[in-house]
Amino acid sequence: MDILEKAVDRVLSGDRSAFQQIVDATSQRLVRLGARIMGNQADAEDVVQEAYVKAYRALTAGEFDRRSSTNTWLYRIVVNGAIDAKRSRKRRAEASDEQVDPGWDGAARAEARVALSELDDWLAALPPEQRVALVLQSMEGLNNAEIAHIMGVSEGAVEQRLVRARAALRQKREQS
Amino acid sequence: MIEHEDIEQRLARLSGATDALRPSAGFSARVMLAIDSEGAPSFLEAAWFSARRLVPVAAIAAALAVVWAVQVDNSVDDELATSYAAVELE
Repeated sequence: MDILEKAVDRVLSGDRSAFQQIVDATSQRLVRLGARIMGNQADAEDVVQEAYVKAYRALTAGEFDRRSSTNTWLYRIVVNGAIDAKRSRKRRAEASDEQVDPGWDGAARAEARVALSELDDWLAALPPEQRVALVLQSMEGLNNAEIAHIMGVSEGAVEQRLVRARAALRQKREQS
Repeated sequence: MIEHEDIEQRLARLSGATDALRPSAGFSARVMLAIDSEGAPSFLEAAWFSARRLVPVAAIAAALAVVWAVQVDNSVDDELATSYAAVELE
């Protein structure tokens, strides 16, 4: 059993502090995923923070049945939160990421911000479900079965979203 | 966008450029603060949360107890019937 599953066991037995280990072990991957979906780091951190609170609530309520791994389960919560946020929230002002103190290398930060902005502009016209499927496959390296599990749909539905997303991007490119 | 870059190439480039993304300083502490503000569970909630994991064990124990009680009851009936018969014979 890995550190993450042991930490979940400790949370389940009432050790609140063990949740910190779960956050430390997963936050980099989840914030990166959230940023690729949301298009900026500030919104991504909001979504991931909400996801952790939901996960903690579900753990302490005994609602996590462990049929999927903790990682996959957290991915699912973040993806659902990001899709909801994309639907309901207007994009934050460009300045929002300026307020975030990333605490990591300036050059890499600048490159990532530029890339995120480019990604967000490029994928802006896609419906959130298509964008998520594309990010999970082409940027997170997941296969269709894993994406289907995370998004709670069939593999056929994932394939359809990916085909439509690529068709829309191709059309956009031809129009420009 | 780089000239002549196709969709897959562009996705791969943007993926590489965002690989180094990580949470801002203090993110983990903010998450724990948000969780702490959820409030600690009350004594009754904590007791129920711990106790309900034992519900299946308790259900099995109760079922076994019922089976045992029925068996004991039947054997007592058999013994009583035997002794009445013996009394009648005597």
